[in-house]
Amino acid sequence: MTRLIYKDRPVELSPGETVLEALERAGVDAPSSCRAGNCQTCLHRAIEGAPPPESQSGLTAAQKALGFFLPCVCRPTEPLTIVPPDDAGARLEATVRAIEPLSHDVVRLRIETTPFPYRPGQFIELIADEDLRRHYSLASHPEEDPFLEMHIRLHPNGRMSRRLMVDMKPGHRLHVAGPRGTCFYEGVDPEQPLALIGAGTGLAPLYGVLRDALRQGHRGEIRLYHGARDSKGLYLTEELQTLAQTRDNVRYIAAALDPNAPFGGDIAALALAEEKPRLTQTAYFLCGGENLVRRLKRDLFMAGASMKAIRSDVFSPA
Amino acid sequence: MSSLYERVGGQKAVDAAVELFYRNVLADGRIARFFDGVNMDDQIAKQKSFLTMAFGGPNKYTGHDMRNAHKKLVAKGLNDTHVDAVIENLNRTLRQLGVGEKEVKEVAALADSVRSDVLNR
Ligand code: FES
Repeated sequence: MTRLIYKDRPVELSPGETVLEALERAGVDAPSSCRAGNCQTCLHRAIEGAPPPESQSGLTAAQKALGFFLPCVCRPTEPLTIVPPDDAGARLEATVRAIEPLSHDVVRLRIETTPFPYRPGQFIELIADEDLRRHYSLASHPEEDPFLEMHIRLHPNGRMSRRLMVDMKPGHRLHVAGPRGTCFYEGVDPEQPLALIGAGTGLAPLYGVLRDALRQGHRGEIRLYHGARDSKGLYLTEELQTLAQTRDNVRYIAAALDPNAPFGGDIAALALAEEKPRLTQTAYFLCGGENLVRRLKRDLFMAGASMKAIRSDVFSPA
Repeated sequence: MSSLYERVGGQKAVDAAVELFYRNVLADGRIARFFDGVNMDDQIAKQKSFLTMAFGGPNKYTGHDMRNAHKKLVAKGLNDTHVDAVIENLNRTLRQLGVGEKEVKEVAALADSVRSDVLNR
């Protein structure tokens, strides 16, 4: 009989039974609606074992790569260990390696942990204290960097900000959990154009995705759009300009909302206008505040981009 | 005789129709407001379920699900004219995809069959 483990406990799976039926019989509070593999209400994730392909139909390439599947149409053929879709995973110890300014209000935090698999552009939970946890996206690359890198916007009254600026020094210990999120380079054709659009520290995951795409030999044009409130908020500009000069398939487009800034403009409007002619071929990565991501997602979709080609990650203000 | 779901084109037809249908619905000023603030990814999955049901495909929807899913919208004023608008958009989508008139009518009839559950009557 095929073995099924839900979180840490074994769940009995009778021959021919779906994972959803087994979970329900075992008294797990598993949500469901259509029970036919359409609505995705029952989504779960396999952290060990491969779910059969028919139980992943309709999911994005990134979701499939992470082991997501639909229990209502899943009849496993091999042992599976599964968790609810937003399970953050085990907590790991970490040590601060560096905290450096990237702009007047953004710092780069580098920490070291026992290595764990992640994809650049995913996010982790940073746990400074039991009651002080925030999500941050990863700009680092697991094969290139011996640390995890996050870009963190400092808020004058933010607790995490104060902790970072005042208390935390290299050597300081904290915890992380994760990774999570599906905004990473997966299911993309190497010849396909990519558009990476973000604002503020939404640049962190996009930077991760950009590096991953280049490392994986992406050949199509990559357009990176970065917006900020004023030009002081545009960071990593020199690196990105240099990168765009040395790689002939990379373009870097930055804009500050402040009309008096040297590159004034609304990054979402700029990106939409620029993307219009290529909407149906491009793969999109959107990262930033809720308003920006929602608006872009809707406008790109309404103009003809497929939802399957749009990956996004919303930053909640911390 | 094959089922309506098969005649319309099965899973492939649902996949082709789902984004076009949702785009049509969101562009329709009569009903767009009911989708304000919803997560588009979740909504696409819901549209897909709805289309599978309307095409007579595999689904285990119960009136209970339909009622629950629309309760909040009914409280916001969802009524017959909105259901009509959704069915109009569905017909339009199917015609854009080249589905025959006979099938369009059958799909519309299936969609219409859940009207009282949708409106919580
Ligand atoms: S319950 Fe709808 S996809 Fe599983």
